[in-house]
Amino acid sequence: MSAEPLFIILTSGEHEKIQMAGMIASVAAVSERPVEVFVSMNAMFAFRKDRSDYQGGEFSKLMKEKNAPDAIELFQQGRMLGDLKVYPCSMAMDISGWEESELVEDLFEPPAGLTKFLSDAENGHLVTI
Amino acid sequence: MSETTTVDARGAYCPGPLMELIATLKLVEVGDEIEVLSSDKGSANDIPEWVAKVKHELVGINEKDDHWSIVVKKLK
Repeated sequence: MSAEPLFIILTSGEHEKIQMAGMIASVAAVSERPVEVFVSMNAMFAFRKDRSDYQGGEFSKLMKEKNAPDAIELFQQGRMLGDLKVYPCSMAMDISGWEESELVEDLFEPPAGLTKFLSDAENGHLVTI
Repeated sequence: MSETTTVDARGAYCPGPLMELIATLKLVEVGDEIEVLSSDKGSANDIPEWVAKVKHELVGINEKDDHWSIVVKKLK
């Protein structure tokens, strides 16, 4: 028996918010809840292969000091161990001019549009971070 | 014959120990037990919640000097 699917629109480039999204997505996905994540806007930068470091505030510093789980690895674990799909926003890919090969591996589905994502999300709960 | 696998997740923060437990659960047989060692208090609270939610069995949870030992039996 599956719970109501969870849909997350992730737009923030802040480390703390990306971390929280990764925690929510991975823990829900391994708790028998289907999860889909739509990554767009400034959040896209954190998912580039050549990202230098997460940009954030005070809590970001603490998490780096204490070696909290890596945000992107949380999404990858959720995908590997649970029912998690992560889509890069097709608009963001078009505007940035980035190729899919420039994004981190073992994570993304092919780019999706907002229309498709919102349509899927009609059958679940949608949160925006 | 059931076996016990130990996952040493001491030093990892939530949800690291939970993820390590789940990754190991995928590898063992039904009936086997996994002992997770965690120094993270949040995980000591959260792992039993997860076990109940997805219907495995919490065999025991013990607080040691500087960490918790959480034993989970794979039921499915």
